Amino acid sequence: MAMEMDFGARSDTGCVRENNEDSFRLAPEMNLFALSDGMGGLASGEVASRLAVDTILAHCREAEKKPTLPLAGARIDGVSPESNRLASAVRLANAAVYRAAQQNGAEQRMGATVVAARIVDERMSLAHVGDSRAYRLRGSDLEQLTRDHSFVAEAMRHGHMTEQEAGSSALQSVLIRALGIDPEVEVDVTEELVMDGDTVLLCTDGLTRELSDAQIAAVLGESDDAQEAAERLIDLAKQAGGGDNITAIVVRRAPKLVGAFARIGRLGRWIKNSV
Amino acid sequence: MPKLVLKFENAILREVPVGEKEVSIGRSPDNGLVIDNPAISHYHARVFNEEGRLMLEDFGSLNGTFVNGQRVKMVTLKPGDSVAIGKHTIIVSDSRDLDGFATGNGGMRPAAPKINETVMLDTKERREFLQKVAAVGESSQVAPARLKVPTLIVRKGKTNQREYSLNDKLTVVGKSAMATVKLKGWFAPRVAAQITRRDDHAYYIGAADKVPTVNGVPIVHPTKLSSGDVIEVAGIELEFVYRD
Repeated sequence: MAMEMDFGARSDTGCVRENNEDSFRLAPEMNLFALSDGMGGLASGEVASRLAVDTILAHCREAEKKPTLPLAGARIDGVSPESNRLASAVRLANAAVYRAAQQNGAEQRMGATVVAARIVDERMSLAHVGDSRAYRLRGSDLEQLTRDHSFVAEAMRHGHMTEQEAGSSALQSVLIRALGIDPEVEVDVTEELVMDGDTVLLCTDGLTRELSDAQIAAVLGESDDAQEAAERLIDLAKQAGGGDNITAIVVRRAPKLVGAFARIGRLGRWIKNSV
Repeated sequence: MPKLVLKFENAILREVPVGEKEVSIGRSPDNGLVIDNPAISHYHARVFNEEGRLMLEDFGSLNGTFVNGQRVKMVTLKPGDSVAIGKHTIIVSDSRDLDGFATGNGGMRPAAPKINETVMLDTKERREFLQKVAAVGESSQVAPARLKVPTLIVRKGKTNQREYSLNDKLTVVGKSAMATVKLKGWFAPRVAAQITRRDDHAYYIGAADKVPTVNGVPIVHPTKLSSGDVIEVAGIELEFVYRD
C-alpha cells in the first residue's frame, strides 16, 4: 500500500489584488507537490506561474514512464535521483518561462518563483527558486526548510539587516533569483526527512507576509486534516490583510495506527470515501 | 515616500522611510536612524518633511554633515543626494527607485508600484548586489570548510562502519534502508536522527524518532554542527569532525 499521505491545497486572490497570479499542482500518485508565484504585467504573471508548475509535473511524469529521460542541467552530487529529477524539472520550468517572456517582448517581462516537493519513502526532495517557502512541522517545532532568494534575506544573512528591519523593509519584494529572468537559473535543492506525523507546508509569500511562524504552527498542529489546514491558513491570512495572492499546500504523513485502531481508522476512511 | 539609505562604502546597511514623522540621525539608540560610530554625534542631524519638501538639519554636530560634498546646516534634499556623515553615506532615495536596483531598463518594476509588488533584479543588478554583500559579509559569515571532509567517527555503539564521510545532503542514522549510519540490534529505531547539509554548506542535526544530544544538550530544533561535537543518539556516540 502507498504511504499514508493526507494532502490539501488552496489558492486565493487575497483582499487587495484583482487577479490571482499564483498556481499550484498536486500529483499524489508521485507524492509531488508544486506551487509558483507569478509576476509580470497584464496576464503575464498567471501565465508564468501556470507554465512553471505544469512544466515541473510534465517532466516528472515523463521520467516516471521513462527513467532514462535526460536531466536538464548538471547532476548534483549527494542527492537522490528524485532530487536530481526535481532540479531538472525546475530548470526546464525556467527555460519555459524565459521563452514565453522573450516572446512577450521587453515591455511585458514575466517571471515566477517556485517551490516543489517530492516525497519518496521518508525522503523529501525540495527544489526552489525565489521566495516561496517550504516548512516542516514536527511535534510543535516549525522549521523553515528553504531560504528566500530575496534582497532582504541575503542582507540579513550577511548581518546588514535585523529580522525586524527586514520585516518592515520596502525592499521585501525584491528577488535576487526567479524563473524566467535568465536562460539558466541556479536551483536550490535540499533533502529532508519526513516522518509519520510530520506536516509539510509549501506556500507563497502572500501567506508568510501575513502570518507569524507561531500562527502557522498552531493551524498546522490543530487542524484535523490537510485540506482544513490549508483553508484555515488562507482564511487567517485574509483576515490579517490579504495584501497579496495566497497559496498553501499542506501535506501530512499520517501516523501509523496499530491493531484495532488501524482497523477503526481504515473503516472511518472507507466510510468517508464512500459517502 | 522618500527613503534614506544608509551605506558604508558600497554596502547598504539600512534604509529608513521618511514619512510624516521626522527621522533623527545619531549615535544614540533612540534615533530613527542609528549610526553607531564615534565620528557621529549622539544627536547629529534630522531629516523631515516640510510643505512637501524633504529637509535636512544638522544639530551643530562636531564633525558636520555634508550634502554632495558641501558642509550644511539646513538644506532641501532631493532624490539622489548623497549625505556624508563620518565615514557613512546616506543616499536620498525615492522609494520607487530602490537605490538603483531593479531600475534598469526593462526591469520588472511596474510604472506605479504597489506595496507587495514583487520585482526582480536582472542579471547585472544581481551580480552587483551579490558582490556588494559578499564584500562586507566576509567577516560575519564563517567560511565553510569546503576542502575538509565532514566525518562522523563512531565512539560508542554498534554500527556498520567505524567512520562515515558525509557526502550526501541528507544523512540518516537508524535501521531504515535509507540510513547511512546503520544501527544494529532488535530495538534500534528505524530513523533515529537526521543530519542535513543546508544551503550555507553547514551540517545540521535534528531529531527524528529519538531526540539526540549534542555535547550533552538535547536537540529539538535542528542545530548546526561544529568540529568536535559529540552526538549521542539511540545508544551510540558519534563525533563530528572536519577532516583534512
